[in-house]
Amino acid sequence: MVLTKISLIFLSAALIASAQQHQPTPMPRQQGAEDPAAVERGRALFRSSCGFCHGNDATGSRAPDLLRSPILLHDDHGTLLGPIIHNGRPEKGMPSFATMKDDEVADIVGYLHHQANAALHSAHVPGDYPLSKLLTGNAQAGKAYFYGPGGCSNCHSVTGDLASIAKKLSPIDLQQQMVYPSDKKIAKTAVVTFADGERCEGKLVHQDEFNVSMICKDGWYRSWPRADVKIEIHDPLEMHRELMSKYTNPDIHNLFAYLETLK
Amino acid sequence: MIRSVISLLALAVAPGVAADGGLNPQDLLKPLSGDWPTFNGDYSGKRFSSLSQINQTNVHKLTLAWVLQPHSVGIKSMPLEVNGILYLTTPDNVWAADARTGRIIWHYYRESTGDHIGQRGVGMYGDWLYFETPDCHLISLNAKDGSVRWNIELADPKLGYFATMAPLIIRNHVIVGVSGDVTDIPGFLASIDPDTGKVQWKWWTEPKPGEPGSETWPRGTDAISHGGGMTWMTGTYDPDLNQLYWGTGNPNPVLNGDIRKGENLYTCSIVALNPDTGKLLWHFQPSPHDTHDWDAVQTPILFDDEYQGVHRKLLAQASRNGYFFVLDRTTGEHIRTMPFIATDWADGIDKRGQPIPNPQKEPKPDGVLVSPGSDGATNWLAPSFDPNTGFFYVSARRLWSMFYMTAEGKPEGWAGRDRNLWADSTLEAIDYKTGKIGWKHDIGNGEGSAGILTTAGNLIFTGDNSDNLLALDPQTGKTLWHVNLGERMEGAPSTYELDGRQYLLTPAGGVILAWTLPQE
Repeated sequence: MVLTKISLIFLSAALIASAQQHQPTPMPRQQGAEDPAAVERGRALFRSSCGFCHGNDATGSRAPDLLRSPILLHDDHGTLLGPIIHNGRPEKGMPSFATMKDDEVADIVGYLHHQANAALHSAHVPGDYPLSKLLTGNAQAGKAYFYGPGGCSNCHSVTGDLASIAKKLSPIDLQQQMVYPSDKKIAKTAVVTFADGERCEGKLVHQDEFNVSMICKDGWYRSWPRADVKIEIHDPLEMHRELMSKYTNPDIHNLFAYLETLK
Repeated sequence: MIRSVISLLALAVAPGVAADGGLNPQDLLKPLSGDWPTFNGDYSGKRFSSLSQINQTNVHKLTLAWVLQPHSVGIKSMPLEVNGILYLTTPDNVWAADARTGRIIWHYYRESTGDHIGQRGVGMYGDWLYFETPDCHLISLNAKDGSVRWNIELADPKLGYFATMAPLIIRNHVIVGVSGDVTDIPGFLASIDPDTGKVQWKWWTEPKPGEPGSETWPRGTDAISHGGGMTWMTGTYDPDLNQLYWGTGNPNPVLNGDIRKGENLYTCSIVALNPDTGKLLWHFQPSPHDTHDWDAVQTPILFDDEYQGVHRKLLAQASRNGYFFVLDRTTGEHIRTMPFIATDWADGIDKRGQPIPNPQKEPKPDGVLVSPGSDGATNWLAPSFDPNTGFFYVSARRLWSMFYMTAEGKPEGWAGRDRNLWADSTLEAIDYKTGKIGWKHDIGNGEGSAGILTTAGNLIFTGDNSDNLLALDPQTGKTLWHVNLGERMEGAPSTYELDGRQYLLTPAGGVILAWTLPQE
């Protein structure tokens, strides 16, 4: 039951809205757009001139972590950092780099801001998160899980709905959709039965403690007080939720390795 | 209690009247009744009002008294109600409004940089309000007209600090906390002089190297200076013991604990401080060595109990990590730990009553499924304690999330992130004597966002995930009355009395609705 075509529109929407509320919001930096070539020049210069003391990634070694330095965080295009690099801080044992050219200093400053920005925006899993990091499982074991204890093949087919799935989704999206699909087209369906025995089948729109609403097969929206009707809900994602409390780490990574072979 | 009319006109022309409108800190010592003068209503954090005009026999008759539309963002704050005037906030904004009509008296606005994620409310002392800002300032406003008396920077916003919480007033101390975990900075709690804005004391979440607690961080590295432990929710206070209770947030880097092996005190902790000196009296850590952003900042509610024939002063917290803790608040002695919802991250409870984190559930580069996710099994949404039922009420979530440790090299900041998969929420009544769940009330898919109010009218007020305002029976959880507010409640209901009428205040999205019983 890995990737059904139906989804919980409302649940997904609520979760997304909710997640957005709670995402940490990085502060905008005052520096302008980065020139990747300049960052790389700065990285090389920093390693050769500064890395021995401040660490190659500027996170500190025998000298302090610069990414948390108030001077860097207050710096605007080298106005604070430039003089320090040129003049050093003799009282703290930092030598001067008096002969360093201004454009070299600018590249180092650009690199430091790049590093600080990366830390600042680290509360994020990028959409192009590398497959090599995710692919730690065993595809054969994953296949056995798919057809065995996972019960995935009860609902899904690797030649049907999952054919070429690894080509359709990025690795990070495939892993998450595998555990819990968020496809907005997926919806719960329901059958509502009235006191006189008449029925309405269709797509569930909303249910809460008090009311239920759906789009019936004739295309009309209808709603009822819950107490007035009998309702059976079919949720295609129910098995995904059951699996979440059963998965071990290897189950998830093996199953992902298997699905990643479906290209 | 019938209050005198305080009109805008009277404020403008007769300053003498306004003296009646202020708040004596002594008034905060009284149990919660006619006013709502501090973030949690009173110092105990119970959010239990002794008002009972609205009760089980008439709650179904509640009718809309007025609507206040400040035309701002979603309201996550607690309006104060003092002497017929409401004080309401969103980030950068404070409004005073007539509690009888909802009409705005004055509006203070100050544009700022910084994280605008939320604003929880103001504190009040005499004729003065205290307001924290997204750029981490504390501003004292004249409650009569919203004019600024003083404005101080609590911490440098360039380093990543911001502020959201509602200050707590204890005698002549304005107790303020700070926010910010996207950079590695130390948390602190400060006491500010209400008249001058001068710092009276500061308590840092991380001890200095060599001090007690520092042994819970690696030695010989800069790990402890990465900090964390933000103090972003308002604490509680026991006037008899003169102890201040506060929860602290996650350590940094947030999701990567490899460079900070150890329990990382006093992050994700409940601490007791002397409010006059900031001296640490005791601590308890709900989430030792947290790697999931499970801030232990949820209200530490104070109530008393007879336990084995002995009167005990207790403190209880339903923590973001999914566990319910009961402590003796005089000493910090642990009494009880119970899960209030299913979780999968702990390998049991240690002798101190603290959950033992399972290393297999720490974030990994290839992804780890964990329940709850970083949004927590509960969060800022106010819990409540009803002394008549003995139940601790909390909005709880079963939440699943995949955690990724993305950083390469030495981690800084968050160093990873979780992606939410699915959540389902329930209102729960926890029996503090056993830690068992007395009843559960389903509030729907997704993450609950509404706080809880209990009253002597034998009622619970809260909201569900379908925008409904709910009135429930506190003994059984049965719904007694509901209405669709049209938007989610992200703050909490509150109540006060004016002209002999009890008002129920409910935020819904960006508006405040006031409810009363029809006049006979």
